[in-house]
Amino acid sequence: MKPDKSQRIEEILGSLDGLKRAPAPDFFFTRLKAKMESRLASPERRPVLLRPVFVVASLLLVLLLNALVVLKSGSAEETVLTELETEQSIAADYSINTNLTYELNQ
Amino acid sequence: MNELELIQGLKNGDERAFKFLVDTYQDLVYNTAISIVQNAEDAEDVSQEVFIQVYRSIHSFKGESKLSTWLYRITTTRALDLLRSRKSKKRLGFLQRLFGDGNEPLIELPDFHHPGIALDKKEQAAQLLKAIAKLPENQKTAFTLHKMENLSYQEVSEVMGISVSAVESLMHRAKQNLRKILEKQVE
Repeated sequence: MKPDKSQRIEEILGSLDGLKRAPAPDFFFTRLKAKMESRLASPERRPVLLRPVFVVASLLLVLLLNALVVLKSGSAEETVLTELETEQSIAADYSINTNLTYELNQ
Repeated sequence: MNELELIQGLKNGDERAFKFLVDTYQDLVYNTAISIVQNAEDAEDVSQEVFIQVYRSIHSFKGESKLSTWLYRITTTRALDLLRSRKSKKRLGFLQRLFGDGNEPLIELPDFHHPGIALDKKEQAAQLLKAIAKLPENQKTAFTLHKMENLSYQEVSEVMGISVSAVESLMHRAKQNLRKILEKQVE
């Protein structure tokens, strides 16, 4: 770093020396009081949908729906397996080669 | 009114006590706020919220520290909260530009000039304040309280709830980081 630049940086770092406190704006207390009084007159209400009970209920509903989808996809697999088992048992009952059933299904 | 009488008056809901509190500490609160948020309107909002919080929660003030220490703590917390919310609004705006038509202009904030800085140092101080804005929160808080409010390391440690050696470490790292930032900023 050039000595000139280094010196400028040191000057910048020292630029807050002798700083005076920034005074609060005029009529600060008056505006503060007005704000406090307006809040008392009309307290802020959170939107209904953002209240914790609704947020928690929505999350539980989403979890429940996800669980239902997972369970349903699980039972769909079982249905496919059950159909295959049924085919095989019928084939066994009638001593039919399961390969033949595959040909019939094609 | 001494501090004990003031605290008792506030706990009793005495309006004169509240006015005395605001008159006595408004500059302390405002200067701390404006030094962190670097915007006069936001600093006034933060300052108002600080006094409203004091009014509401004075009963929880146990008097283990000075009233000014408590005020500094609330002010720095609220000011940093505002900076965080500004940052997340900026990110949201960026996403909106990304997915929107992208015609909204990027507004660059002008340099902040602290009202308490002498005229001959204004430009240099503006560069330093720009660099301070880029510091991590803890370093920013320690540096601001020490340099802008002239608090000793002991007083800063009481506000931040850390040891004096931790404050020394934060100040050392803050100065190192400011030098690095200024090296890139200064042509």
